[in-house]
Amino acid sequence: MATNLKPVDVVVVGLGAAAGVAVLPLTRAGIKVTALEAGSWMQPGDFKADEIHNNVRRRVTTGTKVWDEIPTFRVSPDQRARQGAAPTMMNAVGGTSIHYYANSWRFHPWDFKVRSETVRRYGASAIPKGSTVEDWPLTYDDLEPFYDTIEYEIGVSGKAGNVQGKIDPKGNVFEGARRREYPMPPLRDTDFTDMMQAAARKAGFHPHRSPAAINSQPRNGRSACAYHGYCDTGGCHVKAKNSTAVTTIPAAQKTGNLTIVERAHVTRILTDDNGKTTGALYVRDGQEFFQPAKVVLLASYTYENVRMMLLSKSKAFPNGFANNHGQVGKHYIGHWANREVTGLFPADLNIWYGANAQGVVVNNWAEDNFDHAGLGFIGGASLTVNHEVHPIAASAMPTFGRAPQWGSKWKKFVSQNAGRWLGVYAQCNSLPYENTWLDLDPEVKDKLGDPVCRITSGPKVNEPRASAYAAKKAEEWFRAAGAIEVITVPNAEGPNLSTHATGGTRMGLKAESSVVDPYGFAHESPNLGILGGSTLVTHGARNPTLTIQALSWRTAEHLVKNWKSIAG
Amino acid sequence: MKETPITRRTVLAGATLIPLTAIRRVEAQQPGAAPAPAMNAEQRKILDAFIDRIIPKDELGPGAVECGVGDYIDRCLADYLAAEKPLFLDGLANLDVFALRTQGIAFASLTADKQDAVLTAIDNNQAPNLRGFFNRVRRLTLEGMFGDPVYGGNKNFAGWDLIRYPGAKLAVGPEDQSMKTPPKPFRKGLYGAGENHGH
Repeated sequence: MATNLKPVDVVVVGLGAAAGVAVLPLTRAGIKVTALEAGSWMQPGDFKADEIHNNVRRRVTTGTKVWDEIPTFRVSPDQRARQGAAPTMMNAVGGTSIHYYANSWRFHPWDFKVRSETVRRYGASAIPKGSTVEDWPLTYDDLEPFYDTIEYEIGVSGKAGNVQGKIDPKGNVFEGARRREYPMPPLRDTDFTDMMQAAARKAGFHPHRSPAAINSQPRNGRSACAYHGYCDTGGCHVKAKNSTAVTTIPAAQKTGNLTIVERAHVTRILTDDNGKTTGALYVRDGQEFFQPAKVVLLASYTYENVRMMLLSKSKAFPNGFANNHGQVGKHYIGHWANREVTGLFPADLNIWYGANAQGVVVNNWAEDNFDHAGLGFIGGASLTVNHEVHPIAASAMPTFGRAPQWGSKWKKFVSQNAGRWLGVYAQCNSLPYENTWLDLDPEVKDKLGDPVCRITSGPKVNEPRASAYAAKKAEEWFRAAGAIEVITVPNAEGPNLSTHATGGTRMGLKAESSVVDPYGFAHESPNLGILGGSTLVTHGARNPTLTIQALSWRTAEHLVKNWKSIAG
Repeated sequence: MKETPITRRTVLAGATLIPLTAIRRVEAQQPGAAPAPAMNAEQRKILDAFIDRIIPKDELGPGAVECGVGDYIDRCLADYLAAEKPLFLDGLANLDVFALRTQGIAFASLTADKQDAVLTAIDNNQAPNLRGFFNRVRRLTLEGMFGDPVYGGNKNFAGWDLIRYPGAKLAVGPEDQSMKTPPKPFRKGLYGAGENHGH
């Protein structure tokens, strides 16, 4: 029998990248927030310059909840789904913002209006077959103030390409207008970033440096990046990566209004007979508790958010929380993002050190930045090259047909070339489709006996075409940089389990085609807000975290302004 | 067989060659503590013969055996990959069966040329039951050869020296990110310099 706890104003489920920012405007407004987090605090000393620890064994987590509920995956409904090998999320205060690359992008204005802009420019027939894409219920301009807030609250380094319409070729000339420059300049320029920028210009492209939620200079009492090269799937040993664990969460704690419950494994969201949520049920150290609240903010990873909704059945919601219209799990997007193009260079690149977000990006072939007439697809891909290559990953290099994969000849090849190759990270604009959704797996269960999330991801035409088109451009870029070999190996199946999983409880105007309203509150349960990638409507050609954080702040601010009507 | 580095973005794509049990989290030792051996002497002999052909000792320096890759793999199977151990030991036994069938002698007793012939046959998909095992051993060999020495492999940083990875340091200045004058090897891992730990 669950122990009933004292009611609070807001209970947050999952204190990671999303809720980690939302708690700040809430607690500043005097609202009492209790955050239930499956993991616990991590400290700089927990993070290691160790590829086996971080990348091979994936030890940067506290607790094993995510390991016990790894989703299953299949490409068609007649298949039995197989469980993935490793989780794409983690458990800790700060969540995946602790070990992410920290590439911190605004989505492009086009991403918010894919349907209407495509119909306007190319006609209705240009919308990919089977896609359920809609315009977002908000525009880039609506979100711009919140992007700005997040960039300054957590700290993002970068170079603006469009400040109030004034274009600067040193930044991203394709971006939507921003009100002001980034709070910090980009991470360190190197010979490598200089070389790749010069090559991109030679190819006629418009390169710029990656925007990163990493301090390029000391800020707010924390140090600048130490460039040691273990940022990817690792945590920052000098607190230079601006995870919510070192930025907005400590700031919210200072208000005295935030209570963090570590090791709280939330199992259900509860509701009354009218569909209003009453709080969250959780297990902590073997004991079950019920935390009543006026408002619940569900803020875990996309797979966990959808799973929690589907598990939380009640009299009001017999098919899962706020799912009387059958929309929970629909419109899921697995981000089409790969390293398909690989180049071999004639000299050592010396990219061992540095951060993944210490990169160079080309956006000419993303979104609607080029004419798609006659191309047979919409959208495209951003192309990124970056620092931070680890020795095991480097040695697992392709041999470009120049050597076998083992033996003395391979050893000679890899001794020469492990430091001379590079992949382009191509991230596509990705859309939701009828043949792609999330539900509960009928067989695989976690330790508590609850089914895990199941991904069904059918074949697509648009994204692989866009990816192939961008790959040709990446090949041009590498040739211009002096690559002596370039190969492209298409990923035919597309995204499997993803660290960029989005959609599944998308936002929209109608309960018939979306789960949450334009401010992130459920159509069917107005005091349940959803934060995280699951609310996204389309996926831009870039990393999603900054957009998720901007939306989270916006949801929190909306809640503060409308407290009486939502919590009442 | 083409391999791409396993990044977090390609976790599943990159993991398709690896059995599900392989990177599942199990409670494991701290780096440095050597558990009881997972393989018996016969099994270890087969493995050492195998990894010696993946990365041989030659004019470029020590090979996988000399670098302690066998120790790395044994320690993995003893705890972190304990769930994979039965499958892995089956693989070693099957390799011997295949060598006996095609060459008439147990794998470890073959000449290097004949061992290469056996492995080439597997690499060319002539022994479907060994395909996954071959990829797994190759992958673990790379981990042992190029991972931090604290895990038992990469002895004296010979793996890192081979590919000119300078070593792990906690703060990296602009000069260390130069292409014109790349940093010299300083042979340090996170856990220190010099000898392997835990022996």
